[in-house]
Amino acid sequence: MREWLLPFLFGAATGVLSAWGVGGGTLLLLCMTLLLGVDQTTAQGVNLLYFLPAAAASLPSHRRNGYLDAAVLRAAVPFGVLAALAAALVSSSVDSAVFRKPFGLFLLFAGASILLEQRDRSK
Amino acid sequence: MRSSPDAISPPQGGETHKYRYAVAGIVAGAVNGLFGGGGGIPLLVLLRRWAEVEEKTAFATCVAVILPLCVVSAAVLLLRGSVSLAVALPYLAGGTVGGLLGGRLFRNVPNVWLRRIFALFLLYGAYRYLR
Repeated sequence: MREWLLPFLFGAATGVLSAWGVGGGTLLLLCMTLLLGVDQTTAQGVNLLYFLPAAAASLPSHRRNGYLDAAVLRAAVPFGVLAALAAALVSSSVDSAVFRKPFGLFLLFAGASILLEQRDRSK
Repeated sequence: MRSSPDAISPPQGGETHKYRYAVAGIVAGAVNGLFGGGGGIPLLVLLRRWAEVEEKTAFATCVAVILPLCVVSAAVLLLRGSVSLAVALPYLAGGTVGGLLGGRLFRNVPNVWLRRIFALFLLYGAYRYLR
């Protein structure tokens, strides 16, 4: 029973954060690799698959509450899908490791600036 | 949040920012394709800071934009045979329950919580990538 109960519970807990768009997948990756002993490659694959139903399940509520911006979706989804396909094709021939440092720096600055801005904004 | 210099345009950008939305989508797709995930991060930052989308709308809309991008990444992954559905199944079931619950709770979550949790994961990601 433990074999599926813990994965189910971790999936449910991190699914809440995934529905909020704040990084539930990252937390699930950590739970899988650090607590459940799943290897990194499997964990990344499972994490990607897990996000699909978690995100899909949250969308009816977001839509009902008026939190989905139709203009953004119309512009960002088609171009995003094309870019994802192109990048997936390129990623098998190009070493994506060269992008790790720049992306890491972006994460550092974005994370720090979001933490610092909260004083300036109400709520 | 600064208002748009064009006084006639709706305050949330609407159609006036559609090129910015498209660029945000392209960046998200490129990051997702290269790293197999994480495209939601630049997407959220660009939508909030550059395309002036309201904060909560930006978080929820990100989920909706990233979903089809992850379908692409997941299809690539399944085609390469690098993940088994049987292992993933309990996580998928849990994720469905959590997603439903999170969608219902979202309206009542203070924005500052969303921001703090998001920023913590960004800093953790930075540590992973820069280490």
